[in-house]
Amino acid sequence: MGIQVKNLVKSFEDKKVIDNISFNVDDGKILSIVGFSGSGKSTVLKLISGLIEKDSGEINTSGGDIAMVFQYSALFDSLNVFDNISFALQERKDLRGKYTTKELEKIVAEKLELVGLSGIENKFPSELSGGMQKRVSFARAIVTEPRIILYDEPTAGLDPISSTLIEDYIVRLKKETNVASIVVTHQMSTIRRTSDSVLMLYNGKVVFEGTPDDLCAERTDFTKQFVNATIEGPMKMNI
Amino acid sequence: MKILYRATYTYKFLRLIYEQCEEFISTLGEIMFYCIEFVKGLKSFNTSFKEIMNQCSRFGVSSLPITLSIVGMTSIIVSMQVAGEMVKQGGGNFVGMLIAILTVREEGAIMAGFAIISMIGSSLASEIATMKVTEQLDAIQVLKVNPVHYLFTPRVIAGTLMMPLVVIVASLFGIVGGGIAANVTSDLSFRAYFDSVWFGLSMHDLSVCILKSISFGFAISLISCACGMGAKDGAKGVGIATTKAVVCSFVSIVIIDLLFAAAFFS
Repeated sequence: MGIQVKNLVKSFEDKKVIDNISFNVDDGKILSIVGFSGSGKSTVLKLISGLIEKDSGEINTSGGDIAMVFQYSALFDSLNVFDNISFALQERKDLRGKYTTKELEKIVAEKLELVGLSGIENKFPSELSGGMQKRVSFARAIVTEPRIILYDEPTAGLDPISSTLIEDYIVRLKKETNVASIVVTHQMSTIRRTSDSVLMLYNGKVVFEGTPDDLCAERTDFTKQFVNATIEGPMKMNI
Repeated sequence: MKILYRATYTYKFLRLIYEQCEEFISTLGEIMFYCIEFVKGLKSFNTSFKEIMNQCSRFGVSSLPITLSIVGMTSIIVSMQVAGEMVKQGGGNFVGMLIAILTVREEGAIMAGFAIISMIGSSLASEIATMKVTEQLDAIQVLKVNPVHYLFTPRVIAGTLMMPLVVIVASLFGIVGGGIAANVTSDLSFRAYFDSVWFGLSMHDLSVCILKSISFGFAISLISCACGMGAKDGAKGVGIATTKAVVCSFVSIVIIDLLFAAAFFS
């Protein structure tokens, strides 16, 4: 089932930021949401993760946990990497006390190995590079083995090699755990490498839905403008 | 034209007052909401002892030097000003009593409160506000942990427990400081001073002082955390939240002080 979104609407004060959008993401699939800044992409993630309430519409998920990787990692800077990754296992009501310290150490070591950062359990976020922070936040997100993972610009601000690493983790995780994923991104490389389908938003509305190949084929004015990154086109930015 | 100008200024002035009132009521509402959430969180208490101890250390140990300095110096200043006059008027035997009552009933708690607000309250508010604007609170929520329970419980418990201890130590320091000042400036003997202290202080004063300190600690930590949670709009928002926490905490402890004075000493 993955994620089913039907007729979703969200307004902030008088401005409709999400205007009646619908889409599905099946288990084991990755949907990329693209669009200009302020088009409502991150709001969709916040609505699905429950961080904000929808005005109307339906969001159905296949159950299990929903994890989110934040744009700027959002690691807890007062906690070390071990406590960051094991945070949910230590603090969540239904998981608290379920794991011994040894088990927690083992789980954290496994997750860190998965993101290629073994042995940094005692470091603090401020001691890590942006790419490493992103990978730690990735490890933190998957520690509860979620069924849905939401990525908010996972490669923003990273060098091309770190971006490729992150993209590889996203694809690898999808293959290994069959999770449904949504990736909000501006990067064409991320869309090409990771996505099964693409949704383009403009002013809170869906203006394109298709595969990455469809997007790159530039069949509509919207896709043409986005792929070629031109100012001229149907999407006007408030600059 | 002149009338129009005046009307515009009057309108702006009234509008400003209206906005301030609205802001005050909304902040009060937020604080009440977080207070209820905090109490709810106590039911499913799961804060580690280590975290409470960390926060206690922050409240008690790290704030102690500045609290002792402020309370001590205030008592010394008062003692320097009144001891000489009182000795001249033949009331030297009452200097200790005056300083002790002043410190225990009023100055110890309120000055320590001000010191804790400026050191710890502001740091609590800015810490939580920074977590808010850097999406760390969102991350806590997505991980299915209640951020209010997780952040407020150890901080408010630590504030409530540590404030009376800080006030007691600071008051003792103030009384001793007052004695030294009286001795140096007016040749009042320590024996006369401390006899007068024992004579003047009552269990009632001490109990009210402890109760008041508990209320101060609770109010300061809760308001600071609540204002931090309400932060928005990046670095500017952190600054606004911190200022709001300091101002609201100051006002709240003065109001609590007034209520205690009315209830126990009027």
